[in-house]
Amino acid sequence: MKKNEVWKPKKVKFSTYFKRNYDLYLMLLPTLIFITIFSLVPMYGITLAFKDYNMFAAETPFKSIIASEWVGLKHFTKLFSRPEFLQALRNTLIISVLKIVFVFPFPIAFAILLSEVRSIRYQKTLQTIVYLPHFLSWAVVAGIFVSLLSSTGLVNSLLVSLGFEKINFLMSNKLFRPVLIISNIWKEFGWSSIIYFSAIAGLDQECYEAARVDGANRLQQIWYVTIPGLIPTIVLMLITRVGNILEAGFGQIFAMYNPTVYETADIIETYVYRIGLGKMDFSIGTAVGLFNSIIGMILVLSSNAAAKKLTGKSIW
Amino acid sequence: MKKLKKFDIVLYIIMTTLGFITLIPVLKVVAEALSDPRYVVLGEVGILPKGFTLDTILFVLRRVEFLNSFKVTVIITIVGTLLAMVLTVTAAYPLSKPSFRGRKFFLYIFVFIMLFSAGMVPKYLLFRSLGLINTIWALIFSASFSVFNMFVVKNYFEGLPESVEEAAKIDGASNTKTLLTVVLPMSSPVLATVTLFYGVTYWNSYFSGIMYITDPKLKTLQQYLYDLIKMTSSSDLSATDAEALATLSGDAVRSATILVSTIPILVLYPYLQKYFVKGITIGSVKG
Repeated sequence: MKKNEVWKPKKVKFSTYFKRNYDLYLMLLPTLIFITIFSLVPMYGITLAFKDYNMFAAETPFKSIIASEWVGLKHFTKLFSRPEFLQALRNTLIISVLKIVFVFPFPIAFAILLSEVRSIRYQKTLQTIVYLPHFLSWAVVAGIFVSLLSSTGLVNSLLVSLGFEKINFLMSNKLFRPVLIISNIWKEFGWSSIIYFSAIAGLDQECYEAARVDGANRLQQIWYVTIPGLIPTIVLMLITRVGNILEAGFGQIFAMYNPTVYETADIIETYVYRIGLGKMDFSIGTAVGLFNSIIGMILVLSSNAAAKKLTGKSIW
Repeated sequence: MKKLKKFDIVLYIIMTTLGFITLIPVLKVVAEALSDPRYVVLGEVGILPKGFTLDTILFVLRRVEFLNSFKVTVIITIVGTLLAMVLTVTAAYPLSKPSFRGRKFFLYIFVFIMLFSAGMVPKYLLFRSLGLINTIWALIFSASFSVFNMFVVKNYFEGLPESVEEAAKIDGASNTKTLLTVVLPMSSPVLATVTLFYGVTYWNSYFSGIMYITDPKLKTLQQYLYDLIKMTSSSDLSATDAEALATLSGDAVRSATILVSTIPILVLYPYLQKYFVKGITIGSVKG
């Protein structure tokens, strides 16, 4: 019987299966309860986007959602006439696109160069250095950049010694986005290079051999062997990144921005926080959050479908 | 031959410069934390300490607010990681069994909550209704389960040789016993990886504190740091020299606080590097 259970599980009735394996369900139960409370129950709160919230309509803030009045799409129509929301939406897309253009290629180039380093020990040393910033929190990274860019910081001291004026980078609408991009590159380029580096390591060594026989120098080997070999990985990562276009880097921006640069740095999620929790405009905050979640989910699902079609690989 | 050499020289110059540039911000913070605050104020500290002193570090370590935050962060990291590991492993094991009835249904639920979230406001209102605001549990529950990590563990379990588990079952062991005595002892690499994933997430999270905590006694280290940065950064350039002298020793304090709160990460860094890289390769083999 025990053997049957392993080899032909589908032939057993569910009640019999359950009796034998009830502990598997028992095991799963705590996690199910946990995600029900902390992920599924809040989804009921989404109705708030279609209601006028009255926090004191019932004994707890969450029950008040049930008791609040339906108002249909009122908050959404209001939203799309709000300049701050449109600005946040625009900023989210601009910052994301800038990051795709400037941050995305960096780890690819680094991985290619790293794979050309012949000394394993030097390779390891470089990896140890460039992976480190990934483990620092955005609060720490923000602190480091505030210190680098302060009026007496390294960058301004350099500017002064070269005869330029001091610049207040974090208060400048022109320079804040470049700061976001550079700090993002600094924190993640090493870490993101791992996936490309291991893809290069998996390339067929015979291709390099053949290229060398044909008289290809190192640059030509990179161009004709390494880069074509990396294309599938690059395409997959790029599609994934594009699918997450609504994620412009909340943790980073929230830690680094200030009211002076809302114009160029306020993104959807920071806007949700300020409106929903800062100004206690719960219904609008929920509406923006819902908009973000739905569009985000559609984009991720489509990008995954596209990745599957193009590369035969799936992100999950 | 000559061309090969030229390529290598250029490569080494590029890579060394890049490595050095990456290190500069870190060195700068360390240098400021260990320098005489007077030199920090004047902006005379480069990437090496000037007028070496531990005074600023000791000053930070003696601050009550810092010590409180440190304690809170240690507690949530340990308790949170433990809870998260239990929830992750107990969900991953049933779901790793192809014969588990209802597997597809449960997997869909997990994928769904990974893709779609209710958003900040409903979560906040729920936490408030449950009386979790300004409790340590808000910090713990806000990060104690990650579907992604669960999938990493599940995929690892799926990759274990089936024969070992079957042998245990033929011996009459229950699923629970098989998990505890056969599967877990074989899974130490993935368990170490995911434990560190959770640990670093807890240690580094600052936003859950901002969302759910206003009581200064319950602020996490990262939130404490966040407040400190917001305090010292905004008034910076507009300050007159006299004010600058007062606030800019804040620069040294900020750097020292960053350094001290990052030391646990630095101490664990060799392990983090090893296991996180493993995690990436395990995680990328999706089933």
